[in-house]
Amino acid sequence: MRTHDAAILAAAERIRIAYETGQPTPPVRDQLPEGDVAAAYAVQKVNTDHWLDGRRRLVGRKIGLTSKVVQKQLGVDSPDFGMLFADMALADGEEVALGRVMQPKVEAEVALVMELDFAVPDPTLTELISAVAYAVPAIEIVGSRIANWDIKLVDTIADNASAGLFVLGTTPVRLEGLDLRLAGMVMERRGDQVSFGAGAACLGNPLNAALWLARTMVRVGAPLRAGDVVMTGALGPMVTVASGDVVDVRISGLGSVRTAFSA
Amino acid sequence: MTDIHKLAGTIDGAARDARAIAQLSAGTTLTLEQAYAIQKASIDLRLTRGERRVGVKMGFTNRAKAVQMGVHDIVCGRLTDRMIIEDGGTVDFARYVHPRIEPEIAFLLKAPLEGVVTPAQALAAVEAIAPAMELIDSRYENFKFSLEDVVADNASSSGFVVGAWHRPDIDCSNLGIVLSFDGRPVQIGSSAAILGHPLRSLVAAARMTAAGGERLEPGWIVLAGSATAAEPLRRGLYVEAEVQSLGRVAFTIGN
Repeated sequence: MRTHDAAILAAAERIRIAYETGQPTPPVRDQLPEGDVAAAYAVQKVNTDHWLDGRRRLVGRKIGLTSKVVQKQLGVDSPDFGMLFADMALADGEEVALGRVMQPKVEAEVALVMELDFAVPDPTLTELISAVAYAVPAIEIVGSRIANWDIKLVDTIADNASAGLFVLGTTPVRLEGLDLRLAGMVMERRGDQVSFGAGAACLGNPLNAALWLARTMVRVGAPLRAGDVVMTGALGPMVTVASGDVVDVRISGLGSVRTAFSA
Repeated sequence: MTDIHKLAGTIDGAARDARAIAQLSAGTTLTLEQAYAIQKASIDLRLTRGERRVGVKMGFTNRAKAVQMGVHDIVCGRLTDRMIIEDGGTVDFARYVHPRIEPEIAFLLKAPLEGVVTPAQALAAVEAIAPAMELIDSRYENFKFSLEDVVADNASSSGFVVGAWHRPDIDCSNLGIVLSFDGRPVQIGSSAAILGHPLRSLVAAARMTAAGGERLEPGWIVLAGSATAAEPLRRGLYVEAEVQSLGRVAFTIGN
């Protein structure tokens, strides 16, 4: 048991050092029991607690591995989650230095903002919908502290679900009458259309992903709170970015959101 | 000397018998102009057998599809009434060689469109817009062809199904699209993948048909092109396309 704990602490430290130095680490999976998802979340939690002690503020969660294609690539059949801190939020249209996220890629997502605390045990979809304040279009700038994105499930979970930064649109839309399943998505990079999709690509519906997260958060004793942001998962293929790129995302019914990368 | 009518007869026979043939370009050098002439001549053979012309299809209007097939130009083909699949109907698999399906947007015209037109002029000629699917089926072995081959083969067009028509004032620039087999999504995309906006495909259709000596006629259907990569069909499948704000269209493939 002691060696197990030591391995978790060591893996967490390697990831933190990667953040601090900007130097990616080799995969941490070799240090953990093979395929041990609980151990991987334990690594993530060590760092979450470390950062919360350091006065980072938790403002939401991200859901990863929500697409069938990505699940197949990693050989998994479930999404994963990571933490969103206040310092990860960018304003719509804000330019960000490319180096702020290691090995950055961008994804178009639907973000939900909670209206109510949501500690319902075993919640249903309608209970969740009633607890959501609004939806906004979002861009997630994902990154990996693992060298060359050489990740398996435990690596990405341990590495805060490969979270980086997130950008929210500024035109909140209530869920009433909004068809998130068939909402079309197009992403442009420097005006070039590089990713297409729809809400159905995210576990069939972004709300399905959010329900999975809400249930999981209740189960692990860290339920969603009023005001929490939920990044529900990609609506289309993720895209690499370089300095000078400007990325625009339009989601039908939700409007648009933009981010830009400087050197 | 390329014998347009002989090659048209070859293509027409392959389509009628649902039989794969070697690429025309393997035996002769074709220009794109000759390829369109072969397409016209082969469809004329169908019209003399009593088929009726009902519209135009656009092809390779999206990047994923162009990459999938290794071509880099948009193409157009001719639609006849025998290609119509009834919404909710059943198709006979034996009619095809190696059919694939694509989710699309269809335009119904109320006024002619000819030559170079603006998107606004194109929209003004649209009576209605609908969710649609096109069943493509190359008559070439292994679904492999050059640009000239596929043009001669009527841009692989073999069947199409159109759902309920809607007023054309809907913004169709970024409609979510889900193609499902037996209720399971197999392709997910957006109408934005159709040349950035499906109306651009209609503009291209007016220009390209004019180059071929025709115009888009009132009452014609224009299939704007696929929003996703094409999916191979199998016997017994229930095939459905859903388009945001436009509803669904579906058919079954017989065993």
